[in-house]
Amino acid sequence: MYGLQAISANNGWAMALAGALIVFSGLIVLSLAIAQLHKLLNIFEKKGDRAGALPVCSDELPAKIVKPGELLTDLAALAETYRPLTAELDEAFPLADLYEQALRNDLPHPHLSIKTLRDERFLIAQGDGLFTWQPGENV
Amino acid sequence: MDLLIQFLTNTGYYLADYRHVIMLIVGTTFIYLGTAKEYEPLLLVPIGFGILVGNVPFFKGFGLGIYEANSVLHYLYFGVTTGLYPSIVFLGLGAMTDFSSLLARPSLMLLGAAAQMGIFFTLLGALALGFLPKEAASIAIIGGADGPTSIFLTAKLAPHLIGPIAIAAYSYMALIPVIQPPIMRLLTSRQERLIRMPELRDVSKKERIIFPAVGVILCCFLAPASIPLLGMFFFGNFLKECGVTERLAQTARTAIIDTATILLGLTVGASTQGDVFLTGKSIGIFFLGAVAFSIATASGVIFAKIMNLFLKEKINPLLGAAGVSAVPGSAREVHLVGQKEDPNNFLLMHAMACNSSGVIGSAICAGILWSFMVVL
Repeated sequence: MYGLQAISANNGWAMALAGALIVFSGLIVLSLAIAQLHKLLNIFEKKGDRAGALPVCSDELPAKIVKPGELLTDLAALAETYRPLTAELDEAFPLADLYEQALRNDLPHPHLSIKTLRDERFLIAQGDGLFTWQPGENV
Repeated sequence: MDLLIQFLTNTGYYLADYRHVIMLIVGTTFIYLGTAKEYEPLLLVPIGFGILVGNVPFFKGFGLGIYEANSVLHYLYFGVTTGLYPSIVFLGLGAMTDFSSLLARPSLMLLGAAAQMGIFFTLLGALALGFLPKEAASIAIIGGADGPTSIFLTAKLAPHLIGPIAIAAYSYMALIPVIQPPIMRLLTSRQERLIRMPELRDVSKKERIIFPAVGVILCCFLAPASIPLLGMFFFGNFLKECGVTERLAQTARTAIIDTATILLGLTVGASTQGDVFLTGKSIGIFFLGAVAFSIATASGVIFAKIMNLFLKEKINPLLGAAGVSAVPGSAREVHLVGQKEDPNNFLLMHAMACNSSGVIGSAICAGILWSFMVVL
């Protein structure tokens, strides 16, 4: 048997049509799924950011609200903001721990702030990678 | 003297006939094309050498031939008949595929789907030429332009045609630079070929990690028969993207895929014997293979033009030709044809998106056809 008769006898038309529809619909569904993927990930990441950025309710933190841009210029305010973060650390602490605390409290420009405090000798090196606050600094 | 005569009558020189000679010439031609012309050498060299090995005449009953139980070649051929080697090759392919461009522009996946229409048109053509349904399905999958997929499905449905189908599939894959460009130029205008594609967005690591998991679930739920191929493909990709199994991914895309490719090519070549290859069926298979590739290319390009009727931001219709899953040959050809019109038009990344979706599409088609044949 040959030709169109052979195709009809072997269900060729149905197989070709069904096969084409199935592969098309499968890839359409997959493309729709991956088109939404990055949007869903963005939503989850935003929710995570909001959940993580809780305000720190601590008596040790200054009551004064300092705008992010001001911190870097007002050294006293900067030190006042960062000092309470070391309350739970040892008297001599690594800067990495202070940096971690700053990140947890969502403080702006933590790296630059800590560098400024160090350069202005608010933070004094004690050797072995440990630092202490300049004596006489008041909260 | 009798001993000497008996020995001489058992040599290949005595047992050879014209079919052996022709097949040895075919094997030598493949080796030449692979080595001197560098047409798909990783495939044509093992296949060509396998043809030489498999067509040396020998006295049957010694356990030497690939179809004789307990022969070395027969044991190695196990990986072809069971679909093991194609699955392992897909593991390696997944470990070396970067889906970033596809994830950045998922709509290009439709061009990969469109290019698979070559498979279904070829199915009709094979049935019309008098091939049995399972044979027709095995021939049709050549249109997917995916060697391992073709061998996998043929091993399941029509193992006696593995030789000619594999050789047809790989030969046409090597001839992509000859087949595709004229069709692309015929079906597109110069203005369409000049369309530039916008830069793709950055894709996050999380997207690249989640995609193989989502892909394997969605595709394999639709066509469970494609699990051996797509399951391995997405697993290999996950090994690559997750970042914690780089050693496994590296092994998958180097040693493992190379081993499977060597054994696959060698045994497929060795299984291609004169009594199957030098028949009218083989001529029909080669003819249909050319039709399959041509229709696949044309379908992709035409579908891209249809998409442009509804899109505000047009896509370059040349990208439709990259839906033919000959990775990365067809993507490269699309890029080169685009560059001939405009040297500053870089279509490669978008073409790779279509290419990789074509791999997924052809594996799904193999699963669908296998499911249909099981029902028949």
